[in-house]
Amino acid sequence: MSLLEVRDLTISFGSKKVVDCITFTLEKGARIGLIGESGSGKSMTSLAIMGLLPDTATISGSITFEGQELIGLSDREHSRLRGNRIGMVFQEPLTALNPLMRIGKQIAGPLMIHKGSSLKEGLKKALELCTKVGLPDPDRILRAYPHQLSGGQRQRIGLAIALACEPALLIADEPTTALDVTVQREVLNLINALVDKEGSSLIFVTHDLPVVSAMTENVAVMQLGKIVENASVASLFHEPAHEYSRRLISAARLAEDSFSGKGGQL
Amino acid sequence: MRKAMKGNVSLIAGSIMVSITFALLILSFIWTPYDPLAVNPEDSFAGVSMRHILGADKIGRDILSQIIVGSRVTLFVAALAVTIAMTLGVSAGILIAVASRRYQSPMIYAVNIALAFPAALLAIILAAVYGASTITAVTAIGLATAAAVAQVTRRTAHGILASDYVLAAHASGASTWRIIRKHVMPNLRASLLIQASAAVSVSVLAESSLSYLGLGTPPPAPSWGRMLAGSQQYLFVNPLLAIWPGIAIVIVVLGFNLVGDGVREVFDPTLRRSDS
Amino acid sequence: MSQLVLEAKNLSRTYKLAKGASGSGRALRHALIDMNMKINSGDRVGIVGESGSGKTTLVRLLLGLDTPTSGSVEFKGQALIAGKMPWLRKEVQIVFQDPRSSLDPRMKISEIIREPLVCLNIQEDHNARIDEVLDSVGLDRAMRDRYPHELSGGQRQRVAIARALAPRPTVLIADEPVSALDVLVRDQILELIAALTNSLGITLILVSHDLSVIARLCDRVIVMKDGVVVESGNTRQVFDAPAHEFTRALITAIPRLPESR
Repeated sequence: MSLLEVRDLTISFGSKKVVDCITFTLEKGARIGLIGESGSGKSMTSLAIMGLLPDTATISGSITFEGQELIGLSDREHSRLRGNRIGMVFQEPLTALNPLMRIGKQIAGPLMIHKGSSLKEGLKKALELCTKVGLPDPDRILRAYPHQLSGGQRQRIGLAIALACEPALLIADEPTTALDVTVQREVLNLINALVDKEGSSLIFVTHDLPVVSAMTENVAVMQLGKIVENASVASLFHEPAHEYSRRLISAARLAEDSFSGKGGQL
Repeated sequence: MRKAMKGNVSLIAGSIMVSITFALLILSFIWTPYDPLAVNPEDSFAGVSMRHILGADKIGRDILSQIIVGSRVTLFVAALAVTIAMTLGVSAGILIAVASRRYQSPMIYAVNIALAFPAALLAIILAAVYGASTITAVTAIGLATAAAVAQVTRRTAHGILASDYVLAAHASGASTWRIIRKHVMPNLRASLLIQASAAVSVSVLAESSLSYLGLGTPPPAPSWGRMLAGSQQYLFVNPLLAIWPGIAIVIVVLGFNLVGDGVREVFDPTLRRSDS
Repeated sequence: MSQLVLEAKNLSRTYKLAKGASGSGRALRHALIDMNMKINSGDRVGIVGESGSGKTTLVRLLLGLDTPTSGSVEFKGQALIAGKMPWLRKEVQIVFQDPRSSLDPRMKISEIIREPLVCLNIQEDHNARIDEVLDSVGLDRAMRDRYPHELSGGQRQRVAIARALAPRPTVLIADEPVSALDVLVRDQILELIAALTNSLGITLILVSHDLSVIARLCDRVIVMKDGVVVESGNTRQVFDAPAHEFTRALITAIPRLPESR
C-alpha cells in the first residue's frame, strides 16, 4: 500500500478549476517534486492533502493517506493528522509563525495537541528539535519571539514544528523562495538530511527547477491544474516528454548558461 | 460590480430601510395626516384607530404625523453632522498621515484625546454656553465623530502611502498634493463610504440620545428622541407612545448600518479577485 | 569617450532604530558604509546583494529620494539634495520588483504612464508619447484603457517599464525586475530591458540577488554585503574567478541543474 495516493483530484472555485483531475502516488520514504508556475495548482494540491482549502472550494476525487480517505473527512478528524502524521512547511516563515507567542511554545504546540505532552515535556523536546534543525543557542531561541530571529532561523523553526511529531509525510511549499541564496542552500540541505534520517516521504512544491532536481527523485510538472508530465528527475532532464517541461528546462538552462558564461549576453 | 450586489442581503435590506426613511422625509413636506403640533385634548391617549393610525399622545397630537415630521430633524442633524465629521476627519487624517515623523506623534495623541470626548459631553458643554439647539447638537456630534473618522482615515492613508505605487509616483516626480489627490483619495473611497454610513447611524443615535436628554432640538419641533423622553412616564400605561419612535430610530440606524456592511461586501471580493 | 553619469562618493547612510525593548538609547543600523562607485554613460552595472546588504538604501539614495548621513551622490557632477531637485526625476527612473504593487490599482494604464509626463511637465504630446512607449515595450495600444488587475504579471512589468521610460531618462534603475515574475516570462522581460537600454542609449543599473540575471545583462558587477562593497569588476571575471569569499559563497549556493547532454 502506497503512503499517499491521489486519484482524479479536482479542485474548483465556483466554475473555475484550479486543479484538474490529477493523479499521482507516493511511496513510503519516497520524494516527489511538484513543479509549476503561478496558477498551476501545485499549492492547492498540497493544501488539499492537509485539508486546509478555503470553504469556497469544491473538491472531488480521492486522496488516500495511510489507507485513509482524506476527502470528505471532517475538519476535526483531519486536524488529528495535521502536524502529527503530515507536517507542512510554508513559504513565508514570518507569517507562518504566531508573532505573539514565544518560539518554544509554538514548537511544543503539536506535541501537546497530538502526543498529550505537558508544556514542560514539550519544551524539553523543543530543545532537542532546535539542535536537530541546526539552531545554535536553543535556550535563547525558545524564549524568543519570531520577529527577533532571521528568516533562515524562522524557517528552521518552521521545520522543527512540522517535524515535531515525526510525521510520515512532509510537505514543503516553496520553503526557500523567500530566503537569501546562501541561506537557501543550508535550509535545503537540512530538509534533505532530516527527511533522510526520519525516513519520511517528501512532497516538495516549487517553481524552481534546479532546486527540485536536487531534492527529489521524481517530478510532476503541473500546468494550469493538470499534471503534464510525471517522471524521474533523470529522465525528465534527458528526455522531457511534454512541450511545457521542455520550455521550463530550457529557461533554467538559459539562466545557468548565462551565469557560467556559456550563454550569450544580451 | 452589479453581480456582487445581487445576492447582497445587507445592501438590499439596508437600502429598503433607508428608502423608507427618505420617503418619510419627503412626505413630511407634502402631507401629514394632522398638523403634528395640533393639540386635540379630546383625543388624549387615543389608541391605534382609523382616526389616528398610530395613536395620539397625552395632549392629543397625532403620533404618525410627529414621526413623519420628526424625520426632518433626525436626518437634517445626521446629514450635517456627518458632513462636518467627514470633511474634518478625512482632512485631518490625511494631513497627519503625510506629516513628517516629528509632528505625527503629537498629532496622533491629539486625535486620541479628542476621541475620548463623547458627543454627549460636548453637547452638554455647548448647551450650557449657548443653550440647547439643533446647531449645538450638530456641532457636538460632528466633532465627536470627526475624531473617529480621522483615526481610521489616518491608518488607511498610511497604508496607501507605504505602497509601491506611491513610491513610484514619487519617483515620477509627483508632489505630495498630487499624490493625495490622485492616489490616496481614490484608494480611500471604499473606506470612506463605509465610514460615512457608520457615521450616519452613529449620528442618528446620538441625536436621539441628545434630544432625549433635552440637549437637542428644543420643542415644539417634533423629534423622535424627545418623543421617547416624553413617553417614558407613560410606559406602562401606553407603551405604544415609546415603541413607535423607537421603531423609527431602529429602522434608520439599522438601515444605514446594513448599507455600510453591504458596501464593504461589494468592495472586498473585488479586491480579492485581482490575483489569480 | 564615456562621461561620468552617476557617482557615489564616500556614501554612508545610518538609521536610528526605534527604541527597542531594552529601552536604553537608540541603536544604529549602518545600512551603507563609505561607498564609492562610478557609473559612466552607457554602462550596464549589476548590484548584487542579499537582504540587509544595503542595495535598497543605495537605490533610494541614487534616486534622490533619501538623504545620505555623510558623503554624496552626484549626477553629472551635481550633488543631489533630496527633495530639492525635481529635474532629477526626469533623468533617473526606476522599475520596481513587484508589478502587482507598483501600479496604482485604481488607475488605468494610460493614466499610470501619463503620470511622470504630467508631473515632470514634459513638453510633448502626452498621448502620442504614451502610444509610442506602449509600442516599444510590446504592448497593444488597446491596453490604454485597462486596469492593472486585468493584466498578467509580465504585462504589468512591461507597463512599469513603459512608465519609467516615458520621460526619456538618462539612467534606468531596475530593482529585481524579474524576481516576482513567472520563470518562463523572465527572459522576455530581460531581453526587453536590454534591447531598450541599448537602442535608447540608457545607462542601466540592475539590482538583483540572482547572479544569472546579472550575468545576462551587465558588463560590470558590484557585490555588496552588510552595507559595504566586497568586490567589483567585470562580470565575467568576477563570476569566473571571485576574489572575495562572500562572492564565492554566493556562487556555490546556486542550485544546479543535473547534466543532460
